[in-house]
Amino acid sequence: MKFKKSLIAVSTAFFLSTLANAADEVNVAFFLEWATPNQVAKVEQQYDDALGVPVNWTNFDAGTQMTEAMLAGDIDISYSQGLAPFINAVNANAPIKLISIAVQYPANDCVVRNGEGIDKSNANELEGKSVAVPLATMADYSFRMMMRALDVDVDEINVVDQVPADAAVSLADGAVSMACGFGADSMSKMYEVGAPLMNLADKEAAGIISFDVVSVTESFAQENPDMVKTFLEVTEQANKEFAADQSKIDVIAKDAGLSVEATRNQMSEFYFPSHSEQLSEYFNDGGIASVAISVVGGAFATPENPALDDYSSVIDTSYMQ
Amino acid sequence: MFVAILYIVLVIVLVWSIVHGRKVIRTERTDAVFGNPIRTQGGYHWVACGVSSLMLVWFTFSWDAGRAFFPNAANELCQVAKLNRALNPVRSAFPLDNRHLLGTRILKRDLHQIELLSEQLGEMGLAETDREKISALISDLRQTLVLQASTEYMAPGIMGRFQDVAARIKQLARDIQSEDFPGPADETRLAEALAQPGWGESSTEIPVLPKTERGRIFDAAAEIMTGITADYSEIRNDGPDLTGRIEDIRQSIEELEAIAVQQEHKDILSDIEKISKRIDDFRVFPTQVTQGIEASLILLEQAMQDRQGSLRFIDAWALPGGNILAGNNACSEQGSGRWLPKPSDTLATFIWMADPGQGYKGFPLFWYKMKPVSEMVDFIVPDWIADLIPGEYGHHDEQGDIDYGFKDSIYNFATGDFDSFSVPVPTGHIWDSILRVLAGLFLGILLGVPLGLFMGLSRFAKGYFDPLVELYRPVPPLAWAPLILTIFGIQDDGKIFLLFMVAFAIMVISARTGATGTQLSKIHAAHSLGASNRQIIQQVILPNSLPEILTGIRISIGVCWGTLVAAEMLAGTTGIGFVENVARKQSDYEIIWMTIIVMGVLGLLFDLIMRFVIDRTIPWRGKG
Repeated sequence: MKFKKSLIAVSTAFFLSTLANAADEVNVAFFLEWATPNQVAKVEQQYDDALGVPVNWTNFDAGTQMTEAMLAGDIDISYSQGLAPFINAVNANAPIKLISIAVQYPANDCVVRNGEGIDKSNANELEGKSVAVPLATMADYSFRMMMRALDVDVDEINVVDQVPADAAVSLADGAVSMACGFGADSMSKMYEVGAPLMNLADKEAAGIISFDVVSVTESFAQENPDMVKTFLEVTEQANKEFAADQSKIDVIAKDAGLSVEATRNQMSEFYFPSHSEQLSEYFNDGGIASVAISVVGGAFATPENPALDDYSSVIDTSYMQ
Repeated sequence: MFVAILYIVLVIVLVWSIVHGRKVIRTERTDAVFGNPIRTQGGYHWVACGVSSLMLVWFTFSWDAGRAFFPNAANELCQVAKLNRALNPVRSAFPLDNRHLLGTRILKRDLHQIELLSEQLGEMGLAETDREKISALISDLRQTLVLQASTEYMAPGIMGRFQDVAARIKQLARDIQSEDFPGPADETRLAEALAQPGWGESSTEIPVLPKTERGRIFDAAAEIMTGITADYSEIRNDGPDLTGRIEDIRQSIEELEAIAVQQEHKDILSDIEKISKRIDDFRVFPTQVTQGIEASLILLEQAMQDRQGSLRFIDAWALPGGNILAGNNACSEQGSGRWLPKPSDTLATFIWMADPGQGYKGFPLFWYKMKPVSEMVDFIVPDWIADLIPGEYGHHDEQGDIDYGFKDSIYNFATGDFDSFSVPVPTGHIWDSILRVLAGLFLGILLGVPLGLFMGLSRFAKGYFDPLVELYRPVPPLAWAPLILTIFGIQDDGKIFLLFMVAFAIMVISARTGATGTQLSKIHAAHSLGASNRQIIQQVILPNSLPEILTGIRISIGVCWGTLVAAEMLAGTTGIGFVENVARKQSDYEIIWMTIIVMGVLGLLFDLIMRFVIDRTIPWRGKG
């Protein structure tokens, strides 16, 4: 029958599409408005030259979408995927791997509205009030970590799920007492009407840091280990060159879709740990990343996708060596 | 078990409905004219046909049927996937899936990079002696690369190591096909494997340890293959000739770097060093030495196919649209098995969440709670009533006692601060969403219908309101989000207003179309019989525009449910759209599909109610 035939056709098409032919080109996911030194290498096609195949860069809005695209076989490497979507994916047993840290940045801020009279000394007054948080993102993670550090009971807070742009509006109107978020635009609007609950030093003292990771699909890493290694080498080189000489910031700004001024501001808060630093301070036993990953893993566990006992199996630092 | 029976029943229903439908069509063909709307009435077998075919597609592509009929298939395919995973690093070096040999690809890439370097050198303004030195360096580099492909400079022992790997793979292929591989099962391991939760019974989804005899073959093979792969990956073409050459190159780079002054001079030297680091991976081999491995891989593949036997057909037919992949810790469903959750799992998630103690984010899906009447009094009676009573509010005296007066009692009453009995009221995500949709719809009808009728009857109203309605109508609701947040805040009123805006535009247009569509002769007839303006509207125009208005309501309900997710994105605290928004960020497909189905079913339910109302209120439709 016709119906059955089309079923066969559809299933065959699906089947064929899973037979990926990876090495003819490499597909990399990245974020716009997120300035990183390797954008110089991207624009100057250093990746294409080093890998010997065309490198296609696709920009995404959210790390979750990067995971989806990786699982669908359209993306091989995600550069600067957020830790939260990566952890959500591996909690759900997705076959992807963390190979390196892309960028470390101060944890997302929570901004208390002026006039609430709340700061870190009396943060428990937030109990019973409304707080805007984009749930299941890194801002959610920061929020939970801050509340834990300041001994505030999250269950007593009326948490409102809002994207940062909306949260900024609600904060200005006084509909919420505090808003947590990310993104230069939304955050600057929040700082207009409020002050961050914890400053950079407070956050670091409490061990609240954020970083974006470089993740790859398992099959790509298995089939093309030398390409993965070369990709990280080129990235490392670009980071080094940028640290020594920032004259190419306009290239980065143009590629990121930001003004040079905004790029400079953003990058002043970024830190790009070198491979040797990552191996000795981040991924060693009890290192910064190892600890943060298990904390984030627990924070985003759901009954359906519980946290893994051990995240070391989804981390492969061998490509940095 | 239940799924398997249901699946068979669905197949029977599908076949029956089609057979029955064709029989009915044959008898009806003669006695109804094409285009006669009566022909669309009845026909419930086609509803059964539609529902069962939809469910069959869902059961099949979500692999629910596959799981019901072949509960061990995923476990066995997981073992095959493990072997594939172990095999992958070797396999990907050969032109089996790829077009070229790994060595060919590396050679091509590195030669291209060296080519770029010479071009770069040609464009640089270096002194002649420097240029010659660098040019010699580059040609050394090229030579070292190219010599890897020649048998003459091959590292000693490589031939033997490749032959060893090829022989081991061949042996593995033979083992897989032999009857007594992998030998008797280890009792404790088998017991451990059998104790695992079944497919989909735990959050691990697919049990990892092999449960069946067929699974054990591939599991054991995967273990052997992992060892072979590790040995293979260590083979490097690093004979003394080639390593010596690379060392020479490194040395000359260092020497030249020491005397280089110009920046571009230094740059090109560091570029040469970069490429030399890639070449010293020594992953290029003479083609003929690796051919044995390629041949044995093909043998292994054949053996795997033979040994899988019926499993390959189960994979293709019962688990269509995706495959099972072995990952770091566990095997996972990929393709439609991942993004299309199984109906039984979705139902289980729904039942689990419907438990009022569980709910989602600490709020039940649909339940009741006891609410004191005082809270409703607080809502209805304004607080300033107490301010109107003469006298003053009580204050405390020196003993700390507070003397409450009549004014305080009134204030306590108005704020609901008194003991009262409680009544059950519905609560939960679903209830909140229904309330929002109904409130938006109700306001839309209440304001939209009179305005629409007015616009259909008055030149002023048409001219005055037309630009307003037509300008805002096509704008997607989400575009209003920031405005609505600023105006209404994060409470329910903003969400309801968003839904109201959607319903309002549709109601205005349908009421207006209904009013203008009234036959002039009917109005004239009523007028000549002495009807007043009011009577004309009530008795002639309103009944005549009812079909349009009711169709408008039907459309509004659908669109309101469609806008709900956007409305609850404004500031999510409760609601079925909020559940969807959070689950989406965590890629929790079972919850996503559950919300989709709940919204779909509620929309359908509302639509069925409207169809019933339409049948009752305007039975004359289509018969005038």
